[in-house]
Amino acid sequence: MHERSLVQTLLKQVQQIVADDGGGRVKEIQVQVGDLSGVEPLLFEAAFAELAANVFSEECGLLLEVVPVKAECSLCGQRFEVQNYEFLCPVCGRGPVDVTQGDQVKLMSITVDSEDMVEGVKS
Amino acid sequence: MNQRVLTIRRDIQAEQKADAAAERERLGQRGTLVVNLLSSPGAGKTALLEATARHFAGRRSMAVLVGDLETDRDAQRLAPLVPVAQLTTGGACHLELPLVKRGLQALGDPAVDFLFIENVGNLVCPASHDLAEHLRVVLISTTEGDDKPGKYPKMFRTSQAMVVTKLDLLPHVPFTLEAVTADALKIQPELEVLSTCALDGRGIQEWCDFLEQQYQEKIESVYEPAGNQ
Ligand SMILES: [Zn+2]
Repeated sequence: MHERSLVQTLLKQVQQIVADDGGGRVKEIQVQVGDLSGVEPLLFEAAFAELAANVFSEECGLLLEVVPVKAECSLCGQRFEVQNYEFLCPVCGRGPVDVTQGDQVKLMSITVDSEDMVEGVKS
Repeated sequence: MNQRVLTIRRDIQAEQKADAAAERERLGQRGTLVVNLLSSPGAGKTALLEATARHFAGRRSMAVLVGDLETDRDAQRLAPLVPVAQLTTGGACHLELPLVKRGLQALGDPAVDFLFIENVGNLVCPASHDLAEHLRVVLISTTEGDDKPGKYPKMFRTSQAMVVTKLDLLPHVPFTLEAVTADALKIQPELEVLSTCALDGRGIQEWCDFLEQQYQEKIESVYEPAGNQ
């Protein structure tokens, strides 16, 4: 259950990024989880629901997108979607392939409400 | 009310990965190959390390960081053979780099040839954490079933070697080396496959030769023999 530690890492980064950007209320965090990230989306969501409540004063949503694994053959250059975790090039069948998508947890975007700021006036 | 969207598009582990890369570089430069050993509980990581320590005795220097959820039993087993530090996760399912650095400090940051990290027994969570290793090795015992790689793809995808353990039990279990190898190679076609029995010593020579070869490839030929005393 390392999802908890990943969510903690995520929340720390979100707080830092929002603070650096002038602050505000975090409404929604969009995250991309790859099929090869080693993360179980349901566990990630559960950890988020629990931990985000401690960090943000108001409710903050999580938009979790699960993305498939994609790879590129290093011999023939073929790009393909990996099915059933079979990392063989479908064209030449020989090349070692590099994963190009789906092995990470990515923070995509943060939606922030800056209601405490009067338009144009920042104290 | 103003609403704004901050576009980030960043790996949340990017910072940890960069830290791990820097530590890997530091250890490599001074001549240490870091080996991260991963497996289910009871696959035989400690037994393999005991056999490795006996084989390397007097020839190669090594140290072990042992990750455990609560106890220090594995560390106690290894302590008579090699310098060992215990990393207790307090129930957490995987090790992270700061804990590894602390363990290394506890050992006095020795310039050994091989630093082994005996990870917490688990085929899922440890796969997602870079511990500054140069070599990631997954162990699978013959009692676990030969379809394990397909069930834990991330673990096998991110490893460079697979060591099959408990070869002595092969006649008694529904497990074949062919099946486990085929299953693993679909996920990681470049995986090095070795098979061992720590009890009777089968395959230990080959395993240690493999480590020597990795040392040559990843340390000696990359960094020149600068840090070697
Ligand atoms: Zn190809």
